[in-house]
Amino acid sequence: MKLFKQLSLALLVAASSNAMADVAVIVNPANANTLSDSDISRAFLGKLKTFSDGQAINAVNSKANGQARVEFEKMVLKKSPAQVKAYWSKRLFTGKGKPLKELASDADVLSFVASTPNAIGYVDASQVNDSVKVIKTL
Amino acid sequence: MKKKLLSCALCAALPLASAHAELSFNGFANIVAGKASSNDQIQGYDDDLTFKQDSLFAIQATTELGEGLTATAQIMSRGENDWDTEFEWAYLGYQINEDFKVLAGRQRLPLYMYSDFVDVSYAYPWITPPNGVYGIELNRFDGLSGVYNFTLGEFDSTAQFIFGSSDDTFDLGGETINSEFEDIFGGVITLTRDWLTLRAAFFDSTLTIPIDGFAQLADAWQQVPGYEHVSEQLVITEDQSQFLELGFRIDYHNILLSGEFISVENEDTPQADDESWYLTAGYRFDNVLVHVTYGADEANTNDITKNLPTGDNAALNQLTAITRGAVDTLVVDSSYYTVGARWDFHDSAALKVEFTSFDDDQFNQDANLVRTALVTVF
Repeated sequence: MKLFKQLSLALLVAASSNAMADVAVIVNPANANTLSDSDISRAFLGKLKTFSDGQAINAVNSKANGQARVEFEKMVLKKSPAQVKAYWSKRLFTGKGKPLKELASDADVLSFVASTPNAIGYVDASQVNDSVKVIKTL
Repeated sequence: MKKKLLSCALCAALPLASAHAELSFNGFANIVAGKASSNDQIQGYDDDLTFKQDSLFAIQATTELGEGLTATAQIMSRGENDWDTEFEWAYLGYQINEDFKVLAGRQRLPLYMYSDFVDVSYAYPWITPPNGVYGIELNRFDGLSGVYNFTLGEFDSTAQFIFGSSDDTFDLGGETINSEFEDIFGGVITLTRDWLTLRAAFFDSTLTIPIDGFAQLADAWQQVPGYEHVSEQLVITEDQSQFLELGFRIDYHNILLSGEFISVENEDTPQADDESWYLTAGYRFDNVLVHVTYGADEANTNDITKNLPTGDNAALNQLTAITRGAVDTLVVDSSYYTVGARWDFHDSAALKVEFTSFDDDQFNQDANLVRTALVTVF
């Protein structure tokens, strides 16, 4: 009985990790700045406002509750969707910042980043094409 | 005539504003139901279920006027004020450079760690922050502040300096008190790194809080030769007050730890000092956060009552006794614990339940409070 429980738990873990797709953090190909993990996290929390070359950071989110978004927030921001929402409501109602622009699909994020020199976004790694530069894969 | 001119100025300005400025609206609401234990009164609740005490509804409008200038107004209706609508905030912000911003107008007084968003229950674990620490009747001020962002080693840091004044009314046992805080000045520093936030604040202000009962006692002492000086210790008129706060918050994976300590020192007022603190621990199970809080509050009175005359004069003895009795009501020695849960059942809304048990050692009274809340941002 106990063994069965452990086995089913192991299966569950395996299944859920299979279901998680890799997420790629992407910038415009012309962007030569390097960003540490902490820089990426701070950029998407509105705390880091400029790249090291002085350009303003234009970070965009993918669709709320989409897989890439949930994964990204969990791995990079280390927050649940509800925590991220609470974080931005705090910033918004204290006048410290507005939530990031949200794009509807991976394709929209790709084309926005491809056409915006100071953009940074993230998409399902399988969707990446050479119109953008991958700076980190999670 | 003036009105006409103003409206003309507005109509001239409006097309310009609408052409360049985008007005954005956001709001939040807390619907809180609560009930105290039988025959008890606590935090504005009694043993009848009420929705009014902590419920509120607010809309915030922000517009960017270009060149770093923003205008923000927050309009709020509170159940406890019979849903009267008030401007909670109305200020102009000017971003001087990337790191430095100036705010002018009516804004939040950043006494505590959660002050800036104290009404946005969606943004923190409890239904309202622990009342002992957050009990000072001073939420907002009219004036100037400067906000400076900088990095200190690995910490994202913010320093805020403020100068202004505030007048407000509050209810003290059925009596409406008009409080005045003048020459409020001070500052806050907040350091944040990943899961750790540290905060310290210091403010100084000049208080005037007229309370009828104490004013009458003060008048009586004016008539006692040799004890006229007692009067000024019994009333709060242009008296100095200093406020200190220290706080921390740890939000590490599923663990939440948060605490604050405050100390208030008043000069020449019946209540001489006040110390409060709380510690909160929480654990997040997916979209449910459970938390416990323990806190304690202590306040001491002015030494003046120790040296009041007693002797053969019955009238004087009585005045001494009444004065001591009145001042002693300001002594606080109490503690409380809260157990609660927050369930994020929706993208923009959470349901909260809380049980708080208060233990007042000074007046030997215990009371319990049960509350539930639906909190949302939109």
